[in-house]
Amino acid sequence: MGAQRVFVTGIGIVSSIGNDEAAVVESLRGLKHGFEAFSPQNSSIPSDVKLAGTVKGFDVSSADFEDWTFPEPYRIRRDVLRSLPPHGPYLHACMAQAIESAGLEDAEVSNLDTGIYTSSAGSARLIHQNTSRLHQLGPMRCPPTGIVASIAGTLSFNLVAQFKIRGNSCGFSSACASSGHALGYAYDDIALGRQKRMFVAAGEDLNDESLLPFSGMRALSLEGEPERASCPFDKSRNGFVSTGGGTVLVLESEEEVQRRGVTPYAELLGWGQASDGHNVAMSHPEGLGLIEAMQRALRSSGIAAGEIDYVNAHATSTHVGDLSEGRALKKVFVEQGHSPKVSSTKALTGHGLSLASALEAAIVSLCLRKGITPGSAHIRELDPEFEDLNIIRETLDEGPSVALSNSSGFGGANVSLVFRKV
Amino acid sequence: MSNEGTNSNLSASPAEPNAEELLKETLKRCSPETITAALAFRQSGDVSLVPTVVLGIVERFLEPEVIDTLRNGDDSVKFMEDLGMDSLTMFEAIMMVEESLGVSIKNEELWDLRTVGDLKGFISGKLSGVEVTAKSKFYPIEQIAAVLPQQKPFLFLQTAEIDGKNASGTYAISGKEDFLEGHFKDNPVFPASIMLEALGQLGVFHFLATDESQADGAEESIFFTGADGVRCHRVCKPGETLELSVELKRRRDPMVVYSGKILVNGEKAASVEEIALIVAPKEQA
Repeated sequence: MGAQRVFVTGIGIVSSIGNDEAAVVESLRGLKHGFEAFSPQNSSIPSDVKLAGTVKGFDVSSADFEDWTFPEPYRIRRDVLRSLPPHGPYLHACMAQAIESAGLEDAEVSNLDTGIYTSSAGSARLIHQNTSRLHQLGPMRCPPTGIVASIAGTLSFNLVAQFKIRGNSCGFSSACASSGHALGYAYDDIALGRQKRMFVAAGEDLNDESLLPFSGMRALSLEGEPERASCPFDKSRNGFVSTGGGTVLVLESEEEVQRRGVTPYAELLGWGQASDGHNVAMSHPEGLGLIEAMQRALRSSGIAAGEIDYVNAHATSTHVGDLSEGRALKKVFVEQGHSPKVSSTKALTGHGLSLASALEAAIVSLCLRKGITPGSAHIRELDPEFEDLNIIRETLDEGPSVALSNSSGFGGANVSLVFRKV
Repeated sequence: MSNEGTNSNLSASPAEPNAEELLKETLKRCSPETITAALAFRQSGDVSLVPTVVLGIVERFLEPEVIDTLRNGDDSVKFMEDLGMDSLTMFEAIMMVEESLGVSIKNEELWDLRTVGDLKGFISGKLSGVEVTAKSKFYPIEQIAAVLPQQKPFLFLQTAEIDGKNASGTYAISGKEDFLEGHFKDNPVFPASIMLEALGQLGVFHFLATDESQADGAEESIFFTGADGVRCHRVCKPGETLELSVELKRRRDPMVVYSGKILVNGEKAASVEEIALIVAPKEQA
């Protein structure tokens, strides 16, 4: 049996730039960012971080989950809510959107041929709450769902149980490449005929415990103006702005797409990954692993570099990270005589860590369907390092035919995904 | 029970909250009557307040649609079957009871608390210093499988409860039992012989779980020797749950005799006047 083709048939998004498809597309068209003022909820923590990509309409800031609020029409039973991390309600909403947009019946969600891969860093906040309680009161006074709500596999445990998933399931943990890996392996499962349909669900908290440790790494921008804080490829970029939220994509085999008679958002043509073998936190200065990841993604997709007409860059607005990706893009495209349009939508969304790759895969899929190419916002003065790249600063009313999306995580893990217009 | 920890994420409170405030915080989603009763209990130690506190805490964990079942029901209301609570919710409720009333409940004690009455009686007993064991003792499948010599795929008992000379139990017919393929072709009917076997297994379980004088190895040498007065009243199909019960009639070593019956949805499905088991010494087995 030849490899099955794989399509994106459903999307759910809860993000700083919108809590549904329409809102996200509108933000992309108008280059509207999702940042708001941030100050630590625990006011005794000294912090110079001023901005975050906030999720609107959800309030999951309370230490008590029964105080959490979320928009209509999402209702979550107490016995479902109690085992969720703070980003759980985002995913609940994303699953509902994704199932609806894919047009899936209950039986199509729950069967042996439908699985779910997830990515989330877990919840440092809940781990802190529960271990504090452990030290104070002992284990028998800790919430019985404390572990499943907080450790890194939490999205898998919760979503598999809640949506009665019977196929493959696993949580992926490679920091900012996590959901890229989840998408890649979900692609493989369908291409190899092991599953007919895969959900890929990714999410992150946004709170003191998720965000501020990155300040300790000197990875966050301390600017107070959104345009100066999150500005990938700009000369004065000095760190990223953190965001939380959730994204779910539904991937399906060509057979399923035909059987159900649905129109996909896009085709996921293939993917590639490779590692830097360089530094625990920083990317390789020449983008060594990312170059290989992109080339493998092209080979896996059967696409020549010249056929890529848009690259959604990982570029988070850090000095070193953007530089290394820029060099990798030059190597793979510019030096071969190609100049695909390039942008980083993190200028608008902020950097969602484990969420980033899935959010950008959803954004790319939406752009392929809607026929737009998102611009790279907040560039006032382009870093001369990137002059050779075709970085577009405004959103174009013409969509790409074949797009590539990059993600890079700690330890130099790099994933590239290739999508094609349907 | 919330995931609330130390509140270290919130602004630090200036003073250590007193016990009354902590209690109010613990019970913050319970009815005002529950909180009043818990505070009064803390003051007076009056055990008659316990049911109000316990029921108030249980109610706080229920989905809106089952609250009336608790309010209008009596002590026989079952937490899992009638109120839709799962074992995690039971843990949450028990932890709140422990914190509110200052009692401590062990995991193995929790298994026996099946009904509102069990819980109220148990807590009152704990607090008044009279240890009452729940009226009947409940056994989940794991404990049954650990006691009985019969094992899957020939184990026809999934839960069991023992109350003195009586034992009751359940077996849900899944439809996946291999023998249903041939009994009958394209028409799965649970065999009467297996229904009798299930009652025998419940008798064996009662014997092994209650007989403290038994010699080691009894579980390896207990056999079905006879049945009298067997009647079957209805056909049992996949999806139905057999409600089994046996009663110890007499014991004259090495023989032990039970009567038994099976209900399905309250309808009589089978009855047997006598099931005789023999507990043979190992070498004779």
